[in-house]
Amino acid sequence: MIHYIKLIVPLIILSFASCELDNYEPPTSTLTGTVTYDGKPIGVRSGGVQLELWQPGFALNTKIPVNIDQEGRFSASLFDGTYKLTFLAGNGPWVVSTDTIVVHLNGSADITVPAEPYYTISEETVARNGENIEASFRALAVNDSRALQSVGLYVGTTAILDNINNKLKVELPAADIATLDDPISLAVNLGPELSSRAYVYARIGVRTSGVNEMLFSPVFKINR
Amino acid sequence: MKTLYKLTVSFFILISVSACKSDWLEREPEEILTDEQLWNNPELIISTIADYYSRLPQHTDFGGPYNCGSPSAYCGWKDYASYDEAMWSGVSNFDFEFRNNLIEYPFARWSLWNYDLVRDINLAIDKIGAVNSPKVPDAMKNQFIAELRFIRALNYFELVKRMGGVPIITEQLIYDFEGDPTYLQHPRNSEEEVYLFIESELDAITDLLGNEGSKTRANKYTAIALKSRAMLYAGSIAKYNNLMASPITLPNGEVGIPASKAAYFYESSLQASKAIIESGAYQLYESNPDRGMNFYEALTVKNGNNEVIMAVDYAVSQGLRHLFTLENIPRSLRQDVENVSGSSALSPSLNLVESYEYLDGSVGTLKGVGTGSNTAEGQANWIFYDSPAAIFADKDPRLSGTIILPGSTFAGQALNIQAGVYTWNASANKYDRVEGSLNSQYTDGGVLTGGDGPLRNETYVSATGFYLRKYLDSAPGAATSAVRSDIWWVRFRLGEIYLNAGEAAFELGLPEGVSYVNRLRERAGFGPNSLTELSLARIMNERKVELAFEDHRVWDLRRWRVAHERWDGTTTNPNANIYALFPYRIIRPGHPDDGKYVFDKFRSSRTTRPRYFRYGNYYAEIPQTVINNNPKIARNPFH
Repeated sequence: MIHYIKLIVPLIILSFASCELDNYEPPTSTLTGTVTYDGKPIGVRSGGVQLELWQPGFALNTKIPVNIDQEGRFSASLFDGTYKLTFLAGNGPWVVSTDTIVVHLNGSADITVPAEPYYTISEETVARNGENIEASFRALAVNDSRALQSVGLYVGTTAILDNINNKLKVELPAADIATLDDPISLAVNLGPELSSRAYVYARIGVRTSGVNEMLFSPVFKINR
Repeated sequence: MKTLYKLTVSFFILISVSACKSDWLEREPEEILTDEQLWNNPELIISTIADYYSRLPQHTDFGGPYNCGSPSAYCGWKDYASYDEAMWSGVSNFDFEFRNNLIEYPFARWSLWNYDLVRDINLAIDKIGAVNSPKVPDAMKNQFIAELRFIRALNYFELVKRMGGVPIITEQLIYDFEGDPTYLQHPRNSEEEVYLFIESELDAITDLLGNEGSKTRANKYTAIALKSRAMLYAGSIAKYNNLMASPITLPNGEVGIPASKAAYFYESSLQASKAIIESGAYQLYESNPDRGMNFYEALTVKNGNNEVIMAVDYAVSQGLRHLFTLENIPRSLRQDVENVSGSSALSPSLNLVESYEYLDGSVGTLKGVGTGSNTAEGQANWIFYDSPAAIFADKDPRLSGTIILPGSTFAGQALNIQAGVYTWNASANKYDRVEGSLNSQYTDGGVLTGGDGPLRNETYVSATGFYLRKYLDSAPGAATSAVRSDIWWVRFRLGEIYLNAGEAAFELGLPEGVSYVNRLRERAGFGPNSLTELSLARIMNERKVELAFEDHRVWDLRRWRVAHERWDGTTTNPNANIYALFPYRIIRPGHPDDGKYVFDKFRSSRTTRPRYFRYGNYYAEIPQTVINNNPKIARNPFH
C-alpha cells in the first residue's frame, strides 16, 4: 500500500507542475484610439464598423478585428509588439484608404486614425418643440466621388442609437434636398409613448450611396 | 504438468507464427482499395460517384448537423428560420433560437471553399480516363467522366453563387517537393469566366450522360436544368449588379459581370429552359383535382411524378431517412415521447402567407385583420369570419399546399389552431382578449387556446399561427424517431424551369415570357392566361410562392441585388420582420357576431431582430487560411 502512495504522490505533483508551464500570460497591453476627421471623432453605428490589426513577422496571418464604437473609439488588448492597423475596404463611411498605420506597442498607446469621410455633419442642433423633435444641420461634401443617398434623424430611448437601433426615424432622400449649401431641417413626431418620457435620445446621420454604414453626429439627450 | 502446459503453448505459438510467415509480406490490404481494384470495377466506380454526389454542398436541405449553433455554418433546413419564409419555434436552446435573434448575417455566412471535392473529382477523371480493362469499355468510361464533370460543374455553381469568381481547377495539382509551391497557386478566375466554364462543361457532356429517366443521377435534362438555373443567375448578376447605385466589383472581375453580357446569359438560360419544356420529357404534376393537395403532392409523391428532374432520395427500407417530419409535425399530431420528439420547429411567416395572391389576381393581403393591441382602435378593422378557414377563401391554392392554415387538416386529422377568445366588454365598448395555455377550455365549454396553439413564446408550438405542409410526410410513423421520413429533397423540378424561362424571356423583352408563367399558374389553380404581362415584381412574387422552402429565396434575393433593401435591419420595414396571425373566437352571447372568428396581425415577439443583410453579404468571406496558403487570392469586397 505504502508503495502505491509513494508512486502516486510524485505523479500528482507532476500533474500540477505541468499545468502551470503550459499556460500563457494574458495580454496586458492596450491599444486605444479614435477615428477622426478634421480633429473630431467620426460617429458610426455601434458594432457596425471594423478596423483590422495585423502583426507581421509570422508565417500565417490572422487579423485581429477591432470594432469601433458609436463615438468612433476603439480598443484592443494585445501583447507588446509591432502591429499594422489598416482599414477594411468599403466597411466604414469614409473613402477607401490603403494607408497602413504602424503601431509600436509597449505598455499602452492611444492613437488617432485619420479618415476622409464622403459627407460630414456640421452645425447640428436638435431641440424639442411640443411633441416634435426638430433637427437642423448642414451636410458637407468632403469627397463627392460618391453621391449622397439620404439624411436621417433617429430617435430612441437608449444612448446606443443608430439607423438600426431606434424607436423612430425620418429619412430624407438626397433627391429631395435642393442644395447642400443651406441647412437641412428634419422633424419627427414623438407620438404618445415617447413624448411622455422624461428624456429621449436623438441623432443625425448621413448615408452615402454604395456604402453600407452611415456617418452620425454625436448623440443628443433631449429632456422633456 | 506445468512443463507439459508450457510446451503445448509454445508449440502452438510457433506453429501459428510459421504458418503466417510464407505470405506475411505479400498479403492484400483488407481495408484499402488499390487504384487498380477501384477503377477497373464499374460497381466500385458507381459507389465512388455516389459519394461525390453526397458531398455536394447544400444549404437548406434535409441534412445538416443536429446541433448547429453558428450562423456561419451549414445547418440544413433549420436555416429557413433565418430568412423571411419562417421563424424558429422549436426548442429554445441557443443553438437553435439564435436564428430569431440574429443581429446581422455574418460575412462568413454561405462561405465555401471545398476544393477537396474538386480535387477528388479531377483525380477520378484522370484515373478513369487511364483505365484499360475489358470490364470498363470506352462508352462506360465516357459516361462516368461526363457524370463526374456534371458534379464538378454543379459544385462550381455552388461555389460561384456564394463566393463570386474562384480558381477553375480542372486537373490534379501535384507538388514536386522542390520547395517552391507558387506554381500550384492559382488566382481567382473572374465571376464571368466561372459561369462560362459551367456553360461549356454542361454543353460538352449533355449527350454523354446517359442515365435516362434517373431522378437521382444526372442525365441529359439534369445538365440542361442546371444550365437553365446557372445562366439565369449569371444574367441577373450582369444586369442588376450594374443597376446598383455603386456596383459591387473587383478590379479583375473576380466579382461582378459586365452589363453587356446580360443578354448572352439570359439567352443561354432561355434556350436551356425551352429545350426541357419542349422535349416533353417532363410534365407538371396534375394528378389530383384538389389543386392545393396537387401542389403538395408535386413535391412529395415519388411514384409517377414526372415533374421532378433531380432529387436527393431517401428510403426508409434502406435506412436512409431524415427527421424533418418529426421536427415539423404540428403540435397535436406529434407521436413520439415528449423528450424525444420535437414538433413545430419552423413556423411559416404571415409575410409568406400574404404573398399568395387571390384567385382573381389581386394582392394577397388578408382582409379585416386587427392589430393585436387589445384596444378599440386595434379592433376597428375586424371582419367577423364564420370559420377560421374563411379568411383564406379564394387564395391561390398553392398556399394550402405549402402551409397548414387554421381550420385545415393534415393526413386526415383536423388541427385546432386558435390563440384565445375575445369577450365583449360593454363598459369599455371593446372586446377583451383572453389567452390560455395549450389545449385549454374557456368557461363557456368551448375552446380557449387550441391544441396546436399558437402561443407567443412557447417551444414546440407554432408562434405565427401557421405550420409547414411542404415536405411533411403523412406516412404512418413518419413523425416518430423509430421510423422517420423518406420524403425526397428536390434539387430541380419542371416548375422552376417554367419560371426560369419566363424570367429570361421577360429580361430579353420577348412576349412569350408571360405564357410560361401562366402555364405554371394554371397548374396552381388559376384560370388560363391569368396574367397579361410580366414585371420583375410579378416574377419575384411568383418565385417566392411557387418555390417557397426549396432553397431559392435567399439566392434569388442576392442575384436580384435587392436583399439589402428587403432585409435592411430596421423594425419599421415589414419585409425585414416576421409577422404572425393569431385567430380568436368571439364571445358575445345574443349578438350576431357570437361564435365567429377574428384575426390579429402583429410582429412576432419571439423574433427580436429584423433581418439585416449588408453589402458585404453579397459575396461571402474567403477564409483567411485560404489566403495564407495562396496569396494570389483576392479578398471579396467589404471584408
